[in-house]
Amino acid sequence: MKVITFVLSLVVSFNAFANDTNPAKDLLLKMANAVHTRNFDASFVVVKGKTMEPYRWVHALQGDTELEHLSLLNGAGLEMVRIDNQVTYFEPQSEPYSLKTDSIAGPIPEVLFKDIDRLSAHYDFVLGGKGRIAGRAAQLVRIESKDEYKYNYWIWLDMESSLLLKAAYVNHEGEALEQLQLTHISVTEQPAGMLLEVLNRNFPTPLPNDALVNEDSTATNWQISWLPDGFELLKSDRHKLDLNNELTDYYLFSDGFVEISVFIQRPLPGKRLSGALTSGATTVYVHNGGNFDVSVVGNVPSMTAKAIAESVTRAL
Amino acid sequence: MTKAHLNKLDNEALSALLDGEQHLTDAKIAEQDVTTFGRYALIGDAMRAQKNNNDIHIDISDRVALALESEPVYADFSQSKTQPQAITETVQDNKVVAFNWRKPVAQLAIAASVAMFAIVGVNTLPQSNNEQQSEIPLLQTTPLTGMASPVSYSSEPALENAEQGLRELQQQRIGALVLEHQRQARVANSLETAQTNTKASEEKN
Repeated sequence: MKVITFVLSLVVSFNAFANDTNPAKDLLLKMANAVHTRNFDASFVVVKGKTMEPYRWVHALQGDTELEHLSLLNGAGLEMVRIDNQVTYFEPQSEPYSLKTDSIAGPIPEVLFKDIDRLSAHYDFVLGGKGRIAGRAAQLVRIESKDEYKYNYWIWLDMESSLLLKAAYVNHEGEALEQLQLTHISVTEQPAGMLLEVLNRNFPTPLPNDALVNEDSTATNWQISWLPDGFELLKSDRHKLDLNNELTDYYLFSDGFVEISVFIQRPLPGKRLSGALTSGATTVYVHNGGNFDVSVVGNVPSMTAKAIAESVTRAL
Repeated sequence: MTKAHLNKLDNEALSALLDGEQHLTDAKIAEQDVTTFGRYALIGDAMRAQKNNNDIHIDISDRVALALESEPVYADFSQSKTQPQAITETVQDNKVVAFNWRKPVAQLAIAASVAMFAIVGVNTLPQSNNEQQSEIPLLQTTPLTGMASPVSYSSEPALENAEQGLRELQQQRIGALVLEHQRQARVANSLETAQTNTKASEEKN
């Protein structure tokens, strides 16, 4: 009897040990926590090939209320404001609107601010080397895709505050495709005054969550027979595109880390070539499917986008 | 004698008059065009001011004010004035930049969003060396100089050059797709949370 208890306790303790041995994951969880609890004011740039986008990112915790403001500083701009579970997007082309969500969908994958544990099935978390980023001691954490159909994501974290200092989409040859680099960060005791002012403003009422999913789903119109492991359908509908008013059958997939959009449209006139376009980590693959055009957009390698696009057939 | 020469002679008389080298009479002033008179007076002022090391005063504030009134507002400075004094200058400064979303720069809006997509096209070129990518034909929707002249959103149909028109059509579509993807990705997270929740509750049942 005693032996059995001993063996059992050994098994239990071993299991507990195995769950706790990933320091990379721990660091990421620490980062998620820091991003939600610190008062900070940061500037970063996103470099995609030859282009560069500067952002300002301010976060504050006032009592129990979280305030966050992310703005694109070049061009016509883009402003995103979060008050707890409500994010409002201000875009130059359209009326501002709010969503009920607990993170801003900016250049940093949202899942990093949450429980990254759910990525474990399809990504590995690996501790990398130490370095100096934005003038601070930094620790590299690599989120590596278990297959070659997705990019890897590398994150450098401040060893002191656990805040994010640099991040990059890296392909399987080890080349950085899209880099995000903090140029300045100041962590303060008190929340920034300018952010508190947000509390006095009125924002559009968010749409109820069930309004996001269209009732007449078009999921059955088309058969998308191949997707990388882990991707699940989030929504499908038929709607008009904002910029050019074209009608499209639309599918949104996600594996929890990256999103992939699949558009199926009427064919454009003339000789259409199939091919890929990339900007940073974003790939647009346009496929000539004969009677229809398939376009796949997402932060995935062009091979993946191509395979998805070519797997689309008309449902019988 | 040409007319131009005549004018020059006239102006010499005016110059002399203003410099006090000739006696001022109403008749003489009346001969002169008002604007010419004003200009010569200013020249005289300037020359004398230089001599005596004095400033000259040209009052253009009215015209500047008028011009300013018709200028579009890019940053709302009036907001920073309402800030309490205690807050440092830099914060006020930032606030102007950060919270001006209520005044979108309309002219910039389309151009910027389209420029982003134009870059999408141009960026494919350097990647053509990449081994993995080279298996896939890369589309070039914009000519190399395309960044400077992004897709036109004018109603003008591109009939003159059919090929160019088609390319623009494709460019427009790709632009629209990228924007749509960005927007849809925003709801992805709440959808995913909702899905996980339903799954969890289904499993319980």
